[in-house]
Amino acid sequence: MKRIATVCLALCMAAALSAGPTLAQDSIKVGIILPLTGGQAAFGEIEKNSFELALEEINAGGGVNGKRLYFIFEDDTGKPEVARSAAEKLITKDKVVMLGGGYGSSETFAIAGVAQQNEMPFLVNTGSADKITEQNWNYVFRLNPAVSEYPSALESFLTEVVKPKTAAILFEDSNFGSGGSKTFQETCNRLGIKVLLNEGYSKGGVDFKPLLVKVKQANPDLVYMISYIMDASLLMSQSRELRLSPKVFVGGAAGFTLPEFPKNAGKASEMVYSATLWYQTLPYPGAMAYYDKYVKKFNKDTEYHGAEAYAAAFVIADALKRTKSLTPKDVRDSLAATDMMTVFGPVKFISYDKKTNQNKLPTYLVQWIDGKLELVWPRNVATKPFVFPIDWEKTWK
Amino acid sequence: MEILVQTLVSGVLIGGIYALIGIGMTLIMGVMKIINLAHGQLMMVAMYITFVLFEYFGLDPYFSLLVSMPALFLLGIFLQKYLLNPLLKVDSILPENQVLMTVGIGMVLTEIIRFIFRSDYRSVKTAYSATALYIGPISLNFPMVVAFGIALLLTAALFFFLLKTDLGKSVRATAQNADAAMIMGINAHWITVLTYGLGSGLVAAAGTLLLPIYYLFPDIGGPFTLKAFVITMLGGMGSTIGAILGGVVLGVAESLGATYISMALKDAVGLVIFLLVLIFLPGGLKTLTKV
Amino acid sequence: MRINRWVLLGIVLFFLAFPVLVPSDYYRHIFIIALMWVLIGSSWNLLAGFTGQVSFGHAIFFGTGAYTAGLCVTKLGISAWWGILLGGPVSTLVGLFIGWVCFRLRGPYFALATIAVGEIFRLVAIDWRSFTEGMEGILIIQTFRSKLPYYYLGVALAALCMFAIHRVVYSKWGYYFVAIREDQDAAESMGISAFRYKSLSLMISSFFTGLAGAFYMNYMAFIDPHVVFNLHDISIMAILVGIIGGVGTIWGPPVGAFIMVFLQETFRSSFFGLFPRWVSESHVLAFGLLVIFVIRYLANGVIGDWPKIRRLWTREKAYS
Repeated sequence: MKRIATVCLALCMAAALSAGPTLAQDSIKVGIILPLTGGQAAFGEIEKNSFELALEEINAGGGVNGKRLYFIFEDDTGKPEVARSAAEKLITKDKVVMLGGGYGSSETFAIAGVAQQNEMPFLVNTGSADKITEQNWNYVFRLNPAVSEYPSALESFLTEVVKPKTAAILFEDSNFGSGGSKTFQETCNRLGIKVLLNEGYSKGGVDFKPLLVKVKQANPDLVYMISYIMDASLLMSQSRELRLSPKVFVGGAAGFTLPEFPKNAGKASEMVYSATLWYQTLPYPGAMAYYDKYVKKFNKDTEYHGAEAYAAAFVIADALKRTKSLTPKDVRDSLAATDMMTVFGPVKFISYDKKTNQNKLPTYLVQWIDGKLELVWPRNVATKPFVFPIDWEKTWK
Repeated sequence: MEILVQTLVSGVLIGGIYALIGIGMTLIMGVMKIINLAHGQLMMVAMYITFVLFEYFGLDPYFSLLVSMPALFLLGIFLQKYLLNPLLKVDSILPENQVLMTVGIGMVLTEIIRFIFRSDYRSVKTAYSATALYIGPISLNFPMVVAFGIALLLTAALFFFLLKTDLGKSVRATAQNADAAMIMGINAHWITVLTYGLGSGLVAAAGTLLLPIYYLFPDIGGPFTLKAFVITMLGGMGSTIGAILGGVVLGVAESLGATYISMALKDAVGLVIFLLVLIFLPGGLKTLTKV
Repeated sequence: MRINRWVLLGIVLFFLAFPVLVPSDYYRHIFIIALMWVLIGSSWNLLAGFTGQVSFGHAIFFGTGAYTAGLCVTKLGISAWWGILLGGPVSTLVGLFIGWVCFRLRGPYFALATIAVGEIFRLVAIDWRSFTEGMEGILIIQTFRSKLPYYYLGVALAALCMFAIHRVVYSKWGYYFVAIREDQDAAESMGISAFRYKSLSLMISSFFTGLAGAFYMNYMAFIDPHVVFNLHDISIMAILVGIIGGVGTIWGPPVGAFIMVFLQETFRSSFFGLFPRWVSESHVLAFGLLVIFVIRYLANGVIGDWPKIRRLWTREKAYS
């Protein structure tokens, strides 16, 4: 019995050291790193599903110049050192031609570092910390806007419609929230809005009343919150309990645009605005079709993360179709020359401010009206007119 | 002024929930002198039970108490009997094995739940989840007030149990000196098993009452375990009154810290208090009273 | 378990030759991480296994070492490699402070206090953005593109650490540590200053853990408070490495480090691609079950209970 066990163990180890997915000769492999387990697994799953949805369509349409495209998914478990390990495995063991994915900012950094060092092209589709494309790394490209740009649609809305004099900023203190709050403070300074309160909190709190009662006392015109879904729900529902009523509540995307938000915050989600990167009614070709296809296949909603992944798949396929050869340098050059339209918007990598290889996209403003998320700004793409000013007593009854 | 009053009120209310979490822990630590690092995870299991009952059977959380508490009681008994008690006989260099076993148990519970329910956030929204009572401009969250009341009831019940019933006295005897208790004819082995079950049942109540106000995901346990320790130390190991006081003190301290220092450091406030108590008042608040 | 001179030589040669034998960056990375855990596990073991002070907060020292190296770059403008020199001493100072606060507590209370201090460090690191960059973390560029320099540095540091601990354990200090572990009061009454020797043990322990942290900064090139001050991934992992390998033994933690790191990666990659995805999703579950199993049946770890394991093997063989 023990002998059998020893033999099995030895076989496993031998297999382990030589294993790897055996794919047809005529195929192209791209590595995608996402959080498939851990706290962000829900988003990792939306992105993986979207990548696979796109992959089916790409291969059905002839793949990459006749060759089949394969995505090898690796789980970074939400930790940067695992992300690094995954990236290295994809590069050295699986010998992929390029990398994609990148959800959490810390993990995306780690992968980008590895990619740049190994001169392997990497297309980021979600990691939003500004620094990722501010390192002058020519092998790192980003499809999605950086977190500092999330509120750009909000800016014009504030200056043209709301005209607030004061603001309070609440943010969750991880990478996403800290970065976003810093840049929004700068935006307020630029627009002449006085920031009365700029405070972070640890995500996962139960009771936000101590923080909200301070906001109530300060009585700002605008309350801007950068939160993940559950904190967003609690913040709004507790604001309602405290009868906190600024002119507008605005969320910085993430938690505020998910269908779980009205489910959890109930009445308190009504009339809340949020910045967003994408919405299925935007006039980008295939946006609504993608949304419908996803819902039909997976029986769940999708949102901007999924759209980012879906679009990224097509950008990857396009770059690989145009590339002179499959060497990393040629793939990189091909990626750099990208100029196409996707469900997420136009994709063209440019350099501006301190950033390089960054795709510059507009953002939008949405509002929860009658339990539905409506696109309200800019006016020309709105699905419904925005509601302002807001009678909170009536809304919250 | 309004800020101060609202902060205090919020602190006291959340203190009630904290106290419930702490009561189970103080019992376990008092009797078995083991640090139960799986406490938060036990609460998490109870919350999932409550969630399933609400989502699929429409059972209101307050009624689910009658299911989750006994269920966790049984789970606790099982864990203690088969995994923790046997360790007492094992000869090893470090006596901390029981603690580490609870770490393992906590991990396994979390992952099994994650396997079944995935990592998605779940919540239970009842009609009264977001209702608030108003005293002037001060708002009191209704479910939290109810939870506070139930916490007081359970504390009183436990107090009565420990002081007046035979079984309760056996528990206290085992806590004071297990060997002496055995000499007096108390089956210390069963008492420890019962106590772990009781502690688990109590933390189940905390979880069930917390669910309407908060939300649920597999990793929810950790931070609450830490709070349970703080409360246990603050109040004094094994003291039920201490647990209530400890819970409220922690809740108020966190609230005040959140308002006047910074919301981000709110948890640090509790931890600093914890350290101070460990160092300067090792017996906890209990030593200040005579109960 | 005293090890045969030739076996020791074999091990050393294996580690020196490994990167040449297996020219894969992927496996080199896993070995480097495992070597780092040898450092952390061995230092934890010195304090816990040999001196009986079970720390649940070793992330404090790891994070301090990592931030020392990181701050060299962000605040002093010098290379993070200075962190390798400074990381250890800075962590030792922090260790002294922790000892002064916590050593008046015994057994489980000491453990709880270390958890609390560890969490306080994490929360402060997140909030004190002007000093630590908060959750945006510190990012540097790796100095070497090849893994070899990091690998050999890791081997050197691990060897240094084990050598030092070996010398300490088999010296008079070592006996004092064990005396304190077995019965602190009896030791005191024999004239051994518990506080002084516990502090010494902690200083050595925190020194090497801090060194590991500085190494991490230089190798991974990115740190943030959640990664390096992490209760589960650093502090508890250190304990598991020690327990599974064998507390109170010299070779326990190294064995434990390799077992844990390899196990984690084996599961994460679904046994390197052999098994379906759900296997990788259950890697933490496998860990938890392993912990329960080891503590229940092999409380002294693989090395500590090695006689037990051998008996299991030979007893079976006797019947086949």
